[in-house]
Amino acid sequence: MPKYLKIWLASARYSITRTLMFRFDFFLWATVELLWMAVNLLLIAVIYEHTDSIAGWKKYEMMLLVGTSLLVQRFLMGFFWSSLFEMGRNIKSGAFDFFLAQPGNILFMASTRKLDLDGLLNSFVAMGVIAYSANQLGLQPSALDLLLYAAMIFCGLIIHYSMLVITISLAFWLTSAQGIESSYFTLSEFSRLPRAAFKGVASVVFVWLLPVVVVSNAPAEVLLRGFQPNWVLALLAATIAWFVAALIIFHRGLRRYASASS
Amino acid sequence: MFSASAKYYQSFLIGLQSNLVYRLNFAVRGFFSLFHLAVVFILWGAAYAGTLHIGGFSFEQTLTYFLVMLVMQFFVGAFNEDYQISEEIRSGLINQFILKPINYFSYRFSIFVAARLVSGALILIPLCVALPFLHSYLTLPTDPWRYGLVIPAMLLSAFIQFSIAYCFGMLTFWFLEIQGFVILSMAIESLLGGQMFPLDLLPAWMLEIAKLLPFYYQTYFPTAILTGRIDLAATYQGFAIQLFWAVALLGLNTVLWRRGLRRHTAVGG
Repeated sequence: MPKYLKIWLASARYSITRTLMFRFDFFLWATVELLWMAVNLLLIAVIYEHTDSIAGWKKYEMMLLVGTSLLVQRFLMGFFWSSLFEMGRNIKSGAFDFFLAQPGNILFMASTRKLDLDGLLNSFVAMGVIAYSANQLGLQPSALDLLLYAAMIFCGLIIHYSMLVITISLAFWLTSAQGIESSYFTLSEFSRLPRAAFKGVASVVFVWLLPVVVVSNAPAEVLLRGFQPNWVLALLAATIAWFVAALIIFHRGLRRYASASS
Repeated sequence: MFSASAKYYQSFLIGLQSNLVYRLNFAVRGFFSLFHLAVVFILWGAAYAGTLHIGGFSFEQTLTYFLVMLVMQFFVGAFNEDYQISEEIRSGLINQFILKPINYFSYRFSIFVAARLVSGALILIPLCVALPFLHSYLTLPTDPWRYGLVIPAMLLSAFIQFSIAYCFGMLTFWFLEIQGFVILSMAIESLLGGQMFPLDLLPAWMLEIAKLLPFYYQTYFPTAILTGRIDLAATYQGFAIQLFWAVALLGLNTVLWRRGLRRHTAVGG
């Protein structure tokens, strides 16, 4: 078994044991996430009580888009959020030394230390929303479409991960990056909007400069309207560009890391 | 000897100074709120594309609603008061208040008032930056009573906001970590406080229930008065329920403080 898979499985085992120890915490956080997802879906439901279309998208098309956006976010929460959130605090406190001393890729070790089972559990709820919306729309995607959708969700996860790594890496320069992670949530709000709603400057900034809109719209388009090479290429290009940018910024920041005196 | 008002005036001044230290954080937060406003603009702009009115209100009125709501949050909203209180309980800093002739609720409330004056003043900066782009969309009703009654509504809203945050802070006496509860309540507050969408768009029966809950009076009530979403009769009725919640939450917090202190263990000197 490759070394990194072994390390990841050990971290996963540790996280599961920890979750079983703090069961109340698990239920509380699972409820918190579930409620936030419900709030986002309710917003869409309420708007469609008063109008038939948002930028040409019907109710269940929007639900499918929001579900897709929530799914990527749940995976980010489940696999990386806690570890990256702690990375910011560790950089400030100097506890990041611990990761530097480990025999492995620093970014891998620092960002895969903890799994959040509540986030992963809620990813099934997001999948339920997507499946329900697809059913309401009478969609019958082929196995290949589903495979492509899954691959695009994976690309979306990498992009969100990269954006978060870049945001948290600012702690290397700012020292106190407290609250900076909330900027991620502000940006992720854009991913619940259809591409067609963006016009003018907003289109340039949020569709082309920041990849938040592509991350959710590209996979949703595959389910709704089948394979479209433009969307796939845009997503692939964004994935590579953002991941490379995250690696560069993280390693530049790491050079500035000065630990902390005792 | 300090009179009661002089005592809390001093804590208000300390609050003012300590919050001015974080002026940059508030300003950055204010600028990020403009991104949220951009989401609102794009989403509702697209929803209004095929219709002139949603829930009886134009696009301009809805956008004004969200802008007023944003300003309202910076003037009357609780930011991290729950965490600050929680931290003071957990770290034992609260012990000094038990030993001194000072009321902890009043002390924290005077600091909260100072913090809101600072954050309220600072949201005006990004607002001035955004105003050239937004002013053609802004439309407020002209009834003079709205501008008079929004002030007491805001004051009571601020009190309710603080009381709810204080309540969550008090939970630290029973639970070590309150973050989960706080974020859970944030979801409820953002929905039932009208931050996600104007509450009058809810089905009638849901709106009637929402009106009875304290969250309605956190930010929606003053925003609705100012943006013309409720009439005078509904405003008076709202004041009665708002006042009830202000008193009820004060009572609840007094009970939580007394009960909590019984569980509290002060260690060290």
